[in-house]
Amino acid sequence: MSGWANYIVFMVATGGFYALLALSLNLIWGGAGMVNLGLAGFFALGAYASALLTVKLGAPILAGLAGALLVGAVGGYVVTMSTTRLRGDYLAIVTLGFAETIRLIANNEIWLTRGSDGVSGIPGPLKAELGSWFNAVYAAGMIGIVALVWFGLRRLDQSPYGRALRAVREDQQVAQVAGKRILRFKVEAFAISAAVAGLAGALYGHFNSYVAPDIFQPLITVYIFLAVAAGGVGRVSGAVLGAYLVVFFLESTRFAAAAIPGLSPVQHAAIREMLVGLALILVLRVRPQGILPERIPPAPRPASVT
Amino acid sequence: MTDRSIRLTRRTALAVGTAALAMPAVVRAQGEPIRLATLTPLTGAGGSYGPTMAKAAATVIEDVNKAGGVLGRRVQLISEDDQTNPEAGVRAARKLIDVDKVSAIMGTWASSVTTAVAPLCWESKTMLCTVSGADSITLLPHQGYLIRTQPNSTLQLTRLGAHVLSLGVKRVFQMIPQTPFTQSSISIMDATLKKGGAEQGSLIYDDKKPTYRTEVDQALRFNPDLIFAAGYTPDSVVLLKDIFRAGFKGKIIGMAYSINQKLIDQIGQAEVVEGVYTFAPSPAQGATAHERVKKIAGNDNPDPYTCQVYDHASMVLMAIAAAKDASGTAIRDNVRKISQGGGKTVDNAVDGIKAITAGEKVDYVGASGPCDFDDKGDIIDCKFRYEQIKANKRTLLKIA
Amino acid sequence: MDSLLQAALNGLVAGTILALPAIGFTAMFAVLRYPNFAVAAYATLGAYGGWMANAWLGWPAFVSLLGAFALAGVVGTAAERVVLEPLRPAGALTAAIAAIALNVILENVLRFCFGNDLLGYDLPLARDIRFAGLRIAPQQIENLTLALAVMGALFAFLAFTRVGKAMRATADNPDLARLKGIEPRRVELLAVFVGAGLCGVGGMLLGLDTSIDPLTGFRVVLSVFAAAVVGGLGSIPGAVAGALLIGLAEEFATLAIAPTYKSAVGFLAILLVLTLRPRGLLGERAY
Repeated sequence: MSGWANYIVFMVATGGFYALLALSLNLIWGGAGMVNLGLAGFFALGAYASALLTVKLGAPILAGLAGALLVGAVGGYVVTMSTTRLRGDYLAIVTLGFAETIRLIANNEIWLTRGSDGVSGIPGPLKAELGSWFNAVYAAGMIGIVALVWFGLRRLDQSPYGRALRAVREDQQVAQVAGKRILRFKVEAFAISAAVAGLAGALYGHFNSYVAPDIFQPLITVYIFLAVAAGGVGRVSGAVLGAYLVVFFLESTRFAAAAIPGLSPVQHAAIREMLVGLALILVLRVRPQGILPERIPPAPRPASVT
Repeated sequence: MTDRSIRLTRRTALAVGTAALAMPAVVRAQGEPIRLATLTPLTGAGGSYGPTMAKAAATVIEDVNKAGGVLGRRVQLISEDDQTNPEAGVRAARKLIDVDKVSAIMGTWASSVTTAVAPLCWESKTMLCTVSGADSITLLPHQGYLIRTQPNSTLQLTRLGAHVLSLGVKRVFQMIPQTPFTQSSISIMDATLKKGGAEQGSLIYDDKKPTYRTEVDQALRFNPDLIFAAGYTPDSVVLLKDIFRAGFKGKIIGMAYSINQKLIDQIGQAEVVEGVYTFAPSPAQGATAHERVKKIAGNDNPDPYTCQVYDHASMVLMAIAAAKDASGTAIRDNVRKISQGGGKTVDNAVDGIKAITAGEKVDYVGASGPCDFDDKGDIIDCKFRYEQIKANKRTLLKIA
Repeated sequence: MDSLLQAALNGLVAGTILALPAIGFTAMFAVLRYPNFAVAAYATLGAYGGWMANAWLGWPAFVSLLGAFALAGVVGTAAERVVLEPLRPAGALTAAIAAIALNVILENVLRFCFGNDLLGYDLPLARDIRFAGLRIAPQQIENLTLALAVMGALFAFLAFTRVGKAMRATADNPDLARLKGIEPRRVELLAVFVGAGLCGVGGMLLGLDTSIDPLTGFRVVLSVFAAAVVGGLGSIPGAVAGALLIGLAEEFATLAIAPTYKSAVGFLAILLVLTLRPRGLLGERAY
């Protein structure tokens, strides 16, 4: 395989990582009305967990993925525990600081993370057997995993648990009066969401065979916000759609910016980043419900009234 | 400043215009253009380096096109942004390799980006020329598809250590941010200095901070004769200002990629940087490519990275000419034939291509060094330019 | 002992640099009730605004602070009206996310116009003044004085002028303020103008010590947020106290733990304060 096909296959896989991150964000932003500006940090936690388990301890990839889910969940739990009683503003700032702190640790704890050199040689599943088909098979696998997570989160969304989360989002006090244990709901939702972000990181590492602190910069979090906002906050399918749209958008601006004559490369680069910000603002302004608006399923009628 | 930028744009516009007019006459190049790429940091932490690097490659290619291209074909340069981020860098590289089908990617700067992009290059048989310093890079299984013009830390620091000793200092303090070569920088310097009877203290700092007063205090408590400021330009600006304020009277040395003309202009005060020593890889005395890069960069002290990308573009084009083939594999197999092993010494691609076409063997001596590579892709040896800032200008002390 | 005192002094100096953007951030929060994450870009804008006044118009560096204030204030107000204000009905978090997007846009507008080259002001650097075994830079004394003067002026403005009182009233209770005939919208825009302007002044002071490039504000923004949260989001004296505290903590951390972890100090301080005293050191009252 070569040329465009190769490129598109790669972007399908990349879209898969973005989609998992978007699903992660959608669960708490759309589901519980919380904001995670440190998505890059949880992405990093999972990526490093799986990379180090497989490279340093020689664990199988599946164990790496499980480790990533676990480390992500624990990270999410720790971050929310100290802030869930506060307004969302605080959580936003704490998560922002969390991501930077994770990046610093990855950069400086060389004995553990190999520092700014990064961890290379992360095994990919069946990489030797698949040869040049690795990317295509992995991309297909990503679609499968995204579908699986999508299915799981949709079930969660439509379950009584999802409705309870929405109640928390809409009005904490009312939810509390209705006997919902707000704090527990929020921490659980955040931990699940962080675990999914961790999974995305692990899968990213096994695909690219390399992770380094430089990958986990704040801009990737902005991309994911754009994905969820464009797809439709609160809509599980929207997050997936939005993620693929963002990858398409990021890549197509390459070609579009290059078409503007008379500009230096740095000006092209500036325009490309500007467009990301502009797109996010325009989506929030013009179509705040996103492409696929949230559908709130009606509560099931009780079978019998007692 | 604006005046200058306006003049620059005007000049560029004029150049583009003239080139367009002259196109049919000058470029008799036929068929599909040969595509090459730069992948430099245009945004993010490396943003102060990438733009001039991309420009250096563009100038080399423009010159070659004006002289009729290579193999009778025009050369097209595509410049992408790696955002100083391996994730973005890999996406950009995929586009360059799969869609643009470039035969070489030049100028990757951050070691993390190079490490991430390298497998894509060797798997697709695309040549990768880098300026990244991490020792681990040339150890990757790159099958020859990678060369690096930046000397590795062992070569660089043993020489720097020797130079430091020759300045007659006994106590050296190294201040360095966390980079892939921080550990080796500290340990190699330590070993070299110990052999010469000198001592080293060191401190690793956070490169995003607006002040390093407490860090400088810690350095001064070591009572150094010389401070080795081993960061990049943005943090070195802050560090040098704070060292000056602290009234440090000893010597200061830094890498020329960090203590560059931009830093000198930014500080804007001769006193602060007066006497600071700088250090950069270099060809032997009398080599001329460096003079050419001065013209491209528009100043007397071109950045070492700019010099290196000039060399990348020149070597890739000559290797294509020598192979009579523009594929990545052809570049890999021929880059050492034009860069080393004797022959007519050339310092630029236009002359080199002319000589190669005439059947001569050439030996390229670049702006960043003699550009001779070992099997791993590391440069075998090079001289270094030792310079000292005097009245806001880097003045050459010696090349050795 | 001397090294501790010196670190404390350095910390105070570092803290005053953080104080102005932290005040700007918290003042906007007090009135508008959403965290305006574009403060990094406002600070960078201020650095460029001051630079243009200094380098192009030839104003002395300290007069150029007006340019910094004006550019950041005007752009901040315009952005509030055009971009953020219409999003506020959708919730504080929506506005906050849009502010992040705005930050990306502004950073790249500056990159588009000025490139990534480092710029500097025409202001001579002086050696430190030494006293009692300690040292401080004259320019840092000026910064400190200036920051204190700006804070003083801001307090006087809030305490004694009609507009200032209206601003406080709006921050305390917008509905009550409206009943009293205060038009909240004008107050809000004024708060943004002053808040963004202060970020701009802070950005220029930052630029005096460091360098001006599109990332000038971004490099310190986490410390600024930490200062505001530690002091109590929405409290102006809290922002000042928080900034000094973060400044001190970062310098002491340099002595106690690895200096590379300076940027993590703010995060730890936030976690600690939020766990022990969730409303911040000085609570959330605006003044």
